[in-house]
Amino acid sequence: MTPAERGPQVIPPVPAQLVDQSAPVAPAYRVPTVPEAAWSSVGGPRRTWVSRAILLSVLLFQAALSLRLHNSAFQDEALYLSAGHVQIHHLLYGTPMDKGYASYFSGSPLLYPVLAAAVDAVFGLAGARLLSLFFMLGANTLVYAMTRRIFSERPALAASALYAVLPSTMMLGNFATYDSAAIFLLALAAWIVVRTDRAPLVAVLPAAPVAVLAVGTKYAAGLFLPTLFALAVLIAWPHRGRSSLVRAGWLLIGVAVPIIAVLCYSDVLAGVRKTTTARQHGQDGPVELLWLSAVWGGLMFLTACFGAIAYARRGRMSEAPQAARLGAPGGVWRTLLGLLLCGTALLAPLYQIHLAAAISLNKHVGFGLLFAAPMAGVGLTRLVGAHFRFPQLACVLWVATLCVGLTKSAEWFSSRPDMSQVNALLRQHVTPGAGHYLAETPDVPAYYLRDITKPTQWSSLYYIAYKDAHGTVHQGRDGYRKALADGWFDLVVLDGVAKPDMNPVITEAVRRSGHYRLLATLPYAGNSGSFRIWVKQ
Amino acid sequence: MIRKTLLPLALVLMALTGVSGCGLFGGDGDPAADAAREPSADSSARAAQQLPYDVKPLLHPAKKYFGVAVDGAPSSMKPVDAFAKTVGKQPNMVGSYSSWGDGFNAEGAQNVFEDGGLLYVSWEPFKPGLDKIADGSQDSYIKKFAASVRKTDVPVAISFGHEMNGHWYPWGTKDTTPRTFVKAWRHIHDLFQEEGATNVVWVWSPNVVNPVPTVQLKPYWPGDAYVDWVGIVGYWTTTGAHTFDTLYGPTRRQVATFTDKPVLISETAAEPGERRRADVRGLLGGVEENEDVIGFLWFNIPKRADWRIQSSPLALAEFKRLIADDAFGFEVPRS
Repeated sequence: MTPAERGPQVIPPVPAQLVDQSAPVAPAYRVPTVPEAAWSSVGGPRRTWVSRAILLSVLLFQAALSLRLHNSAFQDEALYLSAGHVQIHHLLYGTPMDKGYASYFSGSPLLYPVLAAAVDAVFGLAGARLLSLFFMLGANTLVYAMTRRIFSERPALAASALYAVLPSTMMLGNFATYDSAAIFLLALAAWIVVRTDRAPLVAVLPAAPVAVLAVGTKYAAGLFLPTLFALAVLIAWPHRGRSSLVRAGWLLIGVAVPIIAVLCYSDVLAGVRKTTTARQHGQDGPVELLWLSAVWGGLMFLTACFGAIAYARRGRMSEAPQAARLGAPGGVWRTLLGLLLCGTALLAPLYQIHLAAAISLNKHVGFGLLFAAPMAGVGLTRLVGAHFRFPQLACVLWVATLCVGLTKSAEWFSSRPDMSQVNALLRQHVTPGAGHYLAETPDVPAYYLRDITKPTQWSSLYYIAYKDAHGTVHQGRDGYRKALADGWFDLVVLDGVAKPDMNPVITEAVRRSGHYRLLATLPYAGNSGSFRIWVKQ
Repeated sequence: MIRKTLLPLALVLMALTGVSGCGLFGGDGDPAADAAREPSADSSARAAQQLPYDVKPLLHPAKKYFGVAVDGAPSSMKPVDAFAKTVGKQPNMVGSYSSWGDGFNAEGAQNVFEDGGLLYVSWEPFKPGLDKIADGSQDSYIKKFAASVRKTDVPVAISFGHEMNGHWYPWGTKDTTPRTFVKAWRHIHDLFQEEGATNVVWVWSPNVVNPVPTVQLKPYWPGDAYVDWVGIVGYWTTTGAHTFDTLYGPTRRQVATFTDKPVLISETAAEPGERRRADVRGLLGGVEENEDVIGFLWFNIPKRADWRIQSSPLALAEFKRLIADDAFGFEVPRS
């Protein structure tokens, strides 16, 4: 007796029919062949459009997160927009420029400031900030496109969703400075590098002018040029092998030649040195800077690291059956890609630790994470697992990043007092086209009152060279004391934020002078401090 | 289980964030950004509405202040209205007296302002002495007073320790040194500034020097940064000076050696008698003629003498005639 005969007997529900055993069996139904396309890792139109729809939702969400932030113009915004207006007037009407912006701006005064001021002239500050939002939305779209090209739609969407809720993304999407434009241009250059991986070697060249423009827009973007060169090699290596080094060479030449030419034949080198390469070292410690970096981008960086490790261990990006049959890049390549993309996120924090300066670190963290985003996308999808098996962890991670983003961006946006009331008050006391005004943060009122004052009428607490009636020039604290004693300034505005050490000096000088009367004390939101405004009697 | 809990939670959080963000698309308008787009448009006016009262336009008025101190005012404006009816013109300054330790009469300040005028407070530090004020031990009271003044947000003239050059008040020459007076004044002034009470017009008001010729005023002067007006207290008595120049001239000339601040005859009246009509003419004529004199405050209270103008029909008639001049009185600006 066979084992089957010894086991339980299956009794058919109907008596077995007697058939002709020699005739072929014709089934009563047909099972259609399952098309592999439904499981394709290559994708199809439906998947493309679904992904694009999700991306659109992510971008709308990103826009909402940025637009929820409110404040009057920040000092940097006011400075760049004012400079842009001056440049436009100079270009259009030949109005002389009183300030050598190139010597202390951290980006070319002829690029972003002019563009933003042109928008500002038509749509106001909200328009200039919307321009930044478009740049950030564009950058995030390019993050999606780049990640999709390197990996697939799912990591691309995850990368985009994470990048959208970074505090720096929210903040820079409503902040009219160089940063958003530079990030967009860097993203565009990186995307071109990735998109042309299989194209002829010279096809990478369009990335060069974009990268140059990114560096021109904000000099600090130069920090990420090596990443672009390395990416140009690495991304083409599986297709081109060693000739991808030539590709990077083309890119290097395309970037280096114009940059060297500009540095040699213009005055921007002083500005680059002062604001970027030879910037004055600060007092901030490495622990503080690391903590700041961790708060502003730590979660995404860790996700990217996890993604890099997971990707290095296993290259397969899809649960599709045929994906296993596809030739995935080798382990060394995957490891190098992970190191490159994650390592780039560390460039800005490390450089600022070298400078011991926390200034703008919160913004610069976003530059590096632009490159780490694809790996973070991989990390998030690996957390979710195949067939969306464990979405909880990814949801928690994303929500946590969102919460940090919401909190930190709102905190940063409200860290500077709203100057609307101050500007309204100053407007009542400024004499159109005349007078001298001293302000702790002069760029903001200079911007808002640009219709009745010129930037040169405003002095800051950073530098003064006051020439008295006898022709003697007084500088530093004595300069302020002498100028106030002589009643040189028509208005004095202190906020206690930009130069708190100078506040007692100015207050005492104002009181001693006898020329001034306290016009108003305007508390900021939350009563954390107040503006004090004196007017000449 | 965890999946069932966390997933909806994450979705709810996403939805809430999205809704809160999208809600802002509706736009509550950024006033500063609006101001930048259209610097002189309504947005600036909207922000200006929230600004504290600016007293600067009151400091050098184009016309003369016409003030009065009457019993019952400013808690009630009826006595002021009655006085206005008597003399034919509405005063735009109402005098009052406040002893050290009293709270600020915010309601009175509001009453005067609503009537188009400015409250003038003579702040009298009978106790505990200027040294206590100067050393900071009275700070909590001063800050509370200042906060109340700021909160009222209407213009208020404050004369601290008036007639400090006389010997008849505890803060005068008998019990206090000029140095202590100045220190106390500056201390009060600085505390008011810290509290943001910029709606105060600071009036330094000595008595006319005639009865105390040996007391120099300069040592009592707190400094131009601490004073807006020089107030001069000087009554037209039957035995004293009878011209504007002889009554106020010596004081004004001495004051002019250390400051050019505007002068207010901050407490005055003419004693009933034969010369009263002429004294009234001298006072109003002198105020009108002298550009640096920005007005006067008539003491219309019977105290030691009947200073009320209505007690002498002839003087009253002269007062009515002269005060009717367009040079006197104006509505204090609303903002």
